[in-house]
Amino acid sequence: MSAEKHLLPPLVRRIGLRLGAALPALFCVILFTFIMMRVLPGDPAVYFASGPNAGQAEIQELRHKMGLDAPMPVQFLHYLENLVTGDLGRSLTTGQSVARDMQERLPASLELTLTALALSLLISLPLGLTAAWWSGSKYDQFVRAFCSACFCIPPFVSGILLVYVCYYWLGLAPDPTGRINIFLPQPPRLTGLLLIDSALAGDWTAWHEAAGQLVLPATTMALFVIAPLTRMTRAAVISVLGADYIRTARAMGLPTWRIMIVYTLRNALMPVLTTVGIVFSTMMGANVLVEKIFSWPGVASYALDALVSSDYAPVQGFILLMACLFILVNLVIDLLLGVLDPRVSVE
Amino acid sequence: MVRNIFSRRAFLSSALSAGAALTLPYPQGSALAQSRRETLRHVTGGAINTLDPTMLGSTRESFGLSMNVYDRLMTFGSRPIGAFATFDPAHLQGELAESCEISADQRRLTLHLRDNAVWHDGTPVMAEDIKWSLDRCVSANSLARPQFSSGSLTTPDQFRIAGERTIEISLPKPDRLAMANLAMPYAIMVNSRLARQHATSDDPWAQQWLQHNTAAGGAFRVENFRPGVNVTLTRHNGWHSGAPPFFQRIISQTVPEATTRAGLIEREDADIVIDLEAYDIMALSRRGKVHIDSVVESNCFTHLAFNTQSAPFDNVLVRRAIALALPYQDLFAASIFGRGKPLYGADWSERSPAPDFPQPLPFSQNVQKAREMLMKAGHPDGFHTTFSYATSQTTTAEPMAALIQEALGHIGITVRIDKLPDAQFNTMQARRQLDFYTDTAAGWIEHAYYFFYLYFTRDQRWNFSNWNSPQMVELVEKARFETDEAAYVAECQGMLDLLVDQVPLILLWQPNMDAVTVPDLTGFTYQYYRQVDFRTLARS
Repeated sequence: MSAEKHLLPPLVRRIGLRLGAALPALFCVILFTFIMMRVLPGDPAVYFASGPNAGQAEIQELRHKMGLDAPMPVQFLHYLENLVTGDLGRSLTTGQSVARDMQERLPASLELTLTALALSLLISLPLGLTAAWWSGSKYDQFVRAFCSACFCIPPFVSGILLVYVCYYWLGLAPDPTGRINIFLPQPPRLTGLLLIDSALAGDWTAWHEAAGQLVLPATTMALFVIAPLTRMTRAAVISVLGADYIRTARAMGLPTWRIMIVYTLRNALMPVLTTVGIVFSTMMGANVLVEKIFSWPGVASYALDALVSSDYAPVQGFILLMACLFILVNLVIDLLLGVLDPRVSVE
Repeated sequence: MVRNIFSRRAFLSSALSAGAALTLPYPQGSALAQSRRETLRHVTGGAINTLDPTMLGSTRESFGLSMNVYDRLMTFGSRPIGAFATFDPAHLQGELAESCEISADQRRLTLHLRDNAVWHDGTPVMAEDIKWSLDRCVSANSLARPQFSSGSLTTPDQFRIAGERTIEISLPKPDRLAMANLAMPYAIMVNSRLARQHATSDDPWAQQWLQHNTAAGGAFRVENFRPGVNVTLTRHNGWHSGAPPFFQRIISQTVPEATTRAGLIEREDADIVIDLEAYDIMALSRRGKVHIDSVVESNCFTHLAFNTQSAPFDNVLVRRAIALALPYQDLFAASIFGRGKPLYGADWSERSPAPDFPQPLPFSQNVQKAREMLMKAGHPDGFHTTFSYATSQTTTAEPMAALIQEALGHIGITVRIDKLPDAQFNTMQARRQLDFYTDTAAGWIEHAYYFFYLYFTRDQRWNFSNWNSPQMVELVEKARFETDEAAYVAECQGMLDLLVDQVPLILLWQPNMDAVTVPDLTGFTYQYYRQVDFRTLARS
């Protein structure tokens, strides 16, 4: 009881401090993307008023409607004012508000990234652990080669290859378009994560379909991050294996699995978890190609489409969202590190 | 401390079990609720961004969808070409209107609505709905207003309710495009009672609401719309403006990767696609598992445009020299694999051309003459210039650019190739900052005069070569209100002659549209808006 009373306030204070410290960084991100988008060549009004017979008058009208005819500092103030009220602007590409688009598409990206991350951890943790255990052996060499191969193949190649083999050639996978079989109704939306929504609704057909659609894109993404995670696990485990407590455990005759899992892996997880944080943030932003190949309605492909058509609001919204996610993920990783190793939270 | 260790263990073990739970089983034979046979799945690389095609910024896919969801007063007929059909620009017929009378002075159109026409909600279509919809087209700030002005339809007082189901349109002058404008994608007829409920004082024409909702009466109703992802349509059984559609349900889905779209068709998971890359089509036709309907896009033209207002292309001799230097045949073969109709190499020496546009023009390669022409133009040593194209055109424009660079090199012109992102290309095009570039245009109304009006007059973006020819403007203005057919033909021939003489831009070809379908799909119709008309499709 008393331990909890002492523990909780510093934790809350720590979260508060971290979030507060992130605010200047967020402001810089907002300012930077705002200027970047306007410095880039390409006038969104011209791009969108491009129907036949749309002349200069329509272009001017659209510029006015979008507020692009005001001076840049005024535009920025308007943008900030809207941001405070939670209005991220309107997307011309989809005709909807950016906030709504993000709300609809973020779960798709999250579901894909989390699945891919879980998949890659399932593969790379055992691989890294065993490679370190038998380091220098043939097996270790093989793992190294496997990691290099995975890392060398860019996702757009492995994605297209997987589609070609698993869908087009063998017909094993469902068609690589979107999150669920297009002929099926979507489960009622609660979290936006289809696996969770369909499970909550008890709709197991939908769950299986959604899971099936996830296999190929998640594998594509996982393949690319297996290498850093495995290598990091291996290095961390090797450094732990030399520790006194492992020698003691061996001398005491503890079973090998216990030494491996409980004493080695757990103590080696700290650097791995830090890497996971970085890998996760990178995956969220960098899965544009995977989303394109698998027609995945996520945020990254949304931002790319907007960038190609100089649609300011969605790009700004996307970068802001990514910045926030990055900050949050780092915070969560920090807290998790505290769970793994209490010494971290004491600091 | 003990507590802390415990929570750490609990966390680790729960993390492990969560990982195990995420192992993904593969779906077993899923029972699909809807009958696949009565469902059409269309895949496209583009995206539908609005249900109201008149919205500023609406995409071509949005126009296509609205043709299936909304009715217009008029529509173009169709004529068969082999196993499929194409729209017939010469044959305008009623859609929501059952019949149409034109007064003797050609200044009054009287349209009679179908007696049995109903909106999707079952209420009858009345003249006041039509009046409201037409008023919306000319009053609201949308893409419809400039389009309607090309048919002399500009103010609400031109539209009068002349009976419960009769509407009268008056024109200040007889305008040959007034009627055709009533068939355009923008001329949607809206259920005004429904739309008005969602109009506000800021938005009297319910433009906001209609972006994501429909108040329509067309062949299909929108069941589900996710902008940029997919749209599901169901058949409207109360539709009587044409033959009842075969398909009960339509799914139109955005699939950005062209190769994936090709794979979907070949495995028969999708039924129709019209935007594949040329190399995929060649491969598909070799394997022969799919059905391919190829049709020349008759209202479309790919061209090379000059900025005729800045040096050196303000000199007509320079433009003529380039027109003589181009290897047309090689360009046609390398760029679109010969899949289209050439718009060069015509022989006009014996007869004057028909008053049509686009049509093949009398240009062909003659390098010797090109050199002489360039000499005469005052550039004996040639000059430096830049040739630009948009990234989205890469597959066709890249080989084209290389060939042009080589060919113009032979007459001393050094060409730098500039590939620009679409947004940047469009902006520079509108601001007249491109000297020499390629683009493709499609006009919706296949009248020669309309093409010249759209692409060769006025200071606006679609005057590709920024051409300012008083002679052309005069001819176009005359042809527009011309009631004497012979005079109209003569004026159109005058425009063609002027185009060939002044070479503001060089016509290259009309590309093919390749509709790739599963073998049992029939009834494809090429439409001038270059999207799929779901109403005519069926399964055999």
